[in-house]
Amino acid sequence: MHEISLASSLLDIINEQAAKHRFNRVNAVKLSLGCASSVEPKALEFAFSVQAQGTIADGASLRFEMQPVVHYCFSCRRDHSAEVFSSVCAFCGSEDVILTGGTEELRLLELDVD
Amino acid sequence: MKISVVSNILEANDRIAAENKALFDERGIYAVNIMSSPGAGKTSLVEKTVEALGDRFRIAVIEGDIQDTCDAERVARLGIPVVQINTGGACHIDGNMVRGALSSLDLDGVRLLIVENVGNLVCPAEFKLGEHAKVMLLSTPEGADKPAKYPLMFQESSVLLINKTDLLPYVDFDMAKARRDALAINRNLRIFEISCKNAEGLEGWYGWLSGEIESTRKR
Repeated sequence: MHEISLASSLLDIINEQAAKHRFNRVNAVKLSLGCASSVEPKALEFAFSVQAQGTIADGASLRFEMQPVVHYCFSCRRDHSAEVFSSVCAFCGSEDVILTGGTEELRLLELDVD
Repeated sequence: MKISVVSNILEANDRIAAENKALFDERGIYAVNIMSSPGAGKTSLVEKTVEALGDRFRIAVIEGDIQDTCDAERVARLGIPVVQINTGGACHIDGNMVRGALSSLDLDGVRLLIVENVGNLVCPAEFKLGEHAKVMLLSTPEGADKPAKYPLMFQESSVLLINKTDLLPYVDFDMAKARRDALAINRNLRIFEISCKNAEGLEGWYGWLSGEIESTRKR
């Protein structure tokens, strides 16, 4: 559900950028997002496509750079990347693990425009 | 043509939240954002907290719900300033909603502002309100897998209250797993096991919160 708010904020930023850089059409939007950030790319795409209708971003595609969930194990001192969080080390089975990446918030990286 | 932007999508919300926080700091108000699933006991926690600390500190409450005002009515019975935000379908409160609510609250002499967020383990974690601390309430019937399933919520919180410990004999809640997973996500998380029903463990929470309020002085 929060994807609706996020899509609306994304469109606001695109409009600000359009006023600044004077472009008339957005072809693609590159975004960055942590796998464990609890934003659903498909829901965001849908919310964006509906809200972008009739705007300069109508029909623009969203491309996601997904940041993996990264764990660090204090026992075997290794990093482990995965799609979902686990408090058990995938290498040695230790439970002395911390989450070090993967909850990064949604960020706009680049706009492909005409 | 490609334009490099690099901007946080929630920047506009973050800006409003920072303005709210500046207002709290100026007035010496400590603000907490209470988040949980629906039915975990947020309103009961607010009631208990007001009853326990209301004599020492002036408290105001913002109640967030999708619709209805029954939570605000419960809190208003305690005789403190309360305002209801009805999000009208939105799954979370944002900085702007809190800003709007503040204008209808009498903040004179208020030392603690409690914002009770919409019951939801996903969306509220992302939207800053200007609070000093996020407090996460997890109730034992929900299960111990919640930290691993909703890591962002636990990462963003300063305090985890594990509520409904009075139900532990009747539900399969793995306390050790809940604690382990929550601390793996957030090493700095303060965890208190509580029951709003029989008041067990609440002293720890009151002590922590009082300490935070007392260390917030008017600028």
